[in-house]
Amino acid sequence: MYKLLLCLRYLQTRYLAFICIVSVMLGVATLIVVNAVMSGFSTKLKDRLHGVLSDIVIDTDRIEGMFVFAKNAEDDRRPLLTADQICKMIEDSPAGDRIEAVSPTIEVFAILQFPFRGQTQTKPVRLIGIDPVRRAAVGGFSEYLVRQRGLPNPSFDLSPDALLQHDWNKRRQQREDELMNQPEPPGVIRIPDPNAPAPIPAPRMDLDKGMPEAKLSGVIPGYTLAHLRYRNLAGDVMEEVALSPGDAVTITTIGGANIRPVWGSFLVTDYIKTEMSEYDQSFVYVPLDQLQKIRGMDGRCTAIQIRLKNYDQDKAFVTAELKKLFGESDIRIATWEENQGPLLAAIDVERGILNLLLFMIVGVAGFSILAIFTMIVSEKYRDIGILKSLGASSGGVMSIFLGYGLLLGTVGCGFGTVLGLWITYRINTIEKFLTEVTGVAVFPRDVYYFKDIPTNIDPMNVLLVNLGAIAIATVFSILPSYRAARLHPVRALRFE
Amino acid sequence: MLKAEKLFKTYRRHAVQVRVLTGLELEVRTGEFLSIVGASGSGKSTLLHLLGTLDAPDSGTISLDGKRIDNLPARERDLLRNKTFGYIFQFYHLLPELNTLDNVLMPAYIAHSTTGWWKSRAKWRARAEELLKKVGLGHRLKHRPRELSGGEMQRAAVARALLAHPRVLLADEPTGNLDAETGGEIVRLLRDLNREEGVTIVMVTHNLDIVHATDRVVRMVGGTVTEDSRSFQPRPHLAAI
Ligand SMILES: Nc1ncnc2c1ncn2[C@@H]1O[C@H](COP(=O)(O)OP(=O)(O)OP(=O)(O)O)[C@@H](O)[C@H]1O
Ligand SMILES: [Mg+2]
Repeated sequence: MYKLLLCLRYLQTRYLAFICIVSVMLGVATLIVVNAVMSGFSTKLKDRLHGVLSDIVIDTDRIEGMFVFAKNAEDDRRPLLTADQICKMIEDSPAGDRIEAVSPTIEVFAILQFPFRGQTQTKPVRLIGIDPVRRAAVGGFSEYLVRQRGLPNPSFDLSPDALLQHDWNKRRQQREDELMNQPEPPGVIRIPDPNAPAPIPAPRMDLDKGMPEAKLSGVIPGYTLAHLRYRNLAGDVMEEVALSPGDAVTITTIGGANIRPVWGSFLVTDYIKTEMSEYDQSFVYVPLDQLQKIRGMDGRCTAIQIRLKNYDQDKAFVTAELKKLFGESDIRIATWEENQGPLLAAIDVERGILNLLLFMIVGVAGFSILAIFTMIVSEKYRDIGILKSLGASSGGVMSIFLGYGLLLGTVGCGFGTVLGLWITYRINTIEKFLTEVTGVAVFPRDVYYFKDIPTNIDPMNVLLVNLGAIAIATVFSILPSYRAARLHPVRALRFE
Repeated sequence: MLKAEKLFKTYRRHAVQVRVLTGLELEVRTGEFLSIVGASGSGKSTLLHLLGTLDAPDSGTISLDGKRIDNLPARERDLLRNKTFGYIFQFYHLLPELNTLDNVLMPAYIAHSTTGWWKSRAKWRARAEELLKKVGLGHRLKHRPRELSGGEMQRAAVARALLAHPRVLLADEPTGNLDAETGGEIVRLLRDLNREEGVTIVMVTHNLDIVHATDRVVRMVGGTVTEDSRSFQPRPHLAAI
């Protein structure tokens, strides 16, 4: 009984105890907040990674697309399957009934060009040819579109506004051309410069495949490609539209039977904004059939994206089935996690290291508990002598101080959890306040592309942090408690 | 009842030896109020600690009712300190975090587990309040030690020592820190308790005035005790002081 009584009384009357509680509290709160933010970042990142990537991707390194031959024919001239036929084959395979949607795509590097402020902007991009409705069915597409956000059947069609802009562009171009090509005034004779380099011949394309004239075919570029971000003199982040809907872009890639440069013109119809800077500054979506035509791919594709009905349950089975289906070829089959393996592993490693470091901080808090406890015990020398003279056992004295450590740890953890959760829920308000007070952006949004600081509270994690901190508080009070228990009563009583 | 035979106790610190007790013999009789006097450093406190099992002698035996108590295992020794002996110290030694009542109840808190305490707490509280009333602190139950005067603290300490109905009260200079008048009150209190509750008291003191209130005086000289008849003049009624 006296153990409980004294624990509680020591807690109420020792201000040193509050230092212990505060140090445990701060440690626990920090761990909870950092874990919530880290986990928020990583789940959001995973969500986005997964969002743009389909569950399973079948692809090939062949720039000309997948070469898959029909199974049934026995002779060497088995017909080459088109993308649609391959999709059909997949849907008919044993894995078919576990597959929600299949979408053939072409992924190839390309150069995006468009005029901006009198100069031609040239950017390397990842060109992706898709059938918008089928791609939307696989997921991770229409939810990121800016204009057609969330539509089940997005398209590359131009909106009326875009058509208007296109019209206006065209007329302005004509006007500029007229001004440029004014007939030369009479009397001026041009002397050709003999040292002038020969003009570079314009690339010639296969007439049946290239598409030099804009045929009102849409393109969906990444948001960052179409918007320039910079800091003005005041240091604020500015955003300027470089490509409005209806503006024309030229996309150059390679294709044809001999792998030569090919290009086409497209009109911007929408943007894709995944908020993953890597994607937003490199993805450019165009219609699959157009890209097939430009690249002379005869209905083939370079990749097939698959969405499963139940990813976690079926991924192993479907992957195995698909591997059987495609057999020994240069076709690669991987889940999105396998594709993003190194990045996902890096996130986990980062989180692990951070946790280790933070736990070392809690360890430091543990040592402060050790120091404070040693002080408390030596302050209580006489009391220990008194208790022993009144019949308290050594074990009893030890458990007073052990219980005290446990109590301090628990109370500190309780406050720390409350504080940590409060900070986590209010983190964006707090961040805004800090930014206002200090004038330094704590969370520069243009760096992360997140509107808010993402958080994700994992109850298991909170529990573990609490248990760990209580364990540390208790473990570090063992030594002082043991010293208290071993104290000889006469020495303790003579202690002044 | 409490008997010490051939007690030796030497404190050693490196090469220096302090021989405190050298073959001390002492018998405390049931129900008596014994006082021990002696020069400072003669080993009075040491003897008291040995008698109360707070410390162990180098050699020799201490027995209670013919049973040796100087070599008991820790558990039985703790029980003895809790139930059989009551201690009073020169510096009161109350626990500063607890109020007077809780301080007095401490032996009972120690004796019981939490559940055991809840069953018997009414009985103990009544006993504690009765004792505190007896020592004149019935109205100061909720006060902390630092809110009491020296004499009041010592009276609370007396009440604490008596709570568990101990058979022997060991008092180490209970008046040493108090003025003559307050000290006299404490000794009178002990005298009354000795009479009324029949508790045996061994009291160490410097003050030759107050030994007159006791039944018997022994003097510590050279590590042993001698019966001291010189300073002993029986004076049955201390009320005269
Ligand atoms: N732990 C110790 N180590 C060394 N010497 C000690 C120790 N404790 C006590 N002594 C010595 O033992 C002797 C007896 O001490 P004790 O406290 O018993 O004397 P005392 O008679 O109670 O004196 P006082 O009347 O001043 O209280 C003293 O000389 C003291 O210095
Ligand atoms: Mg002494």
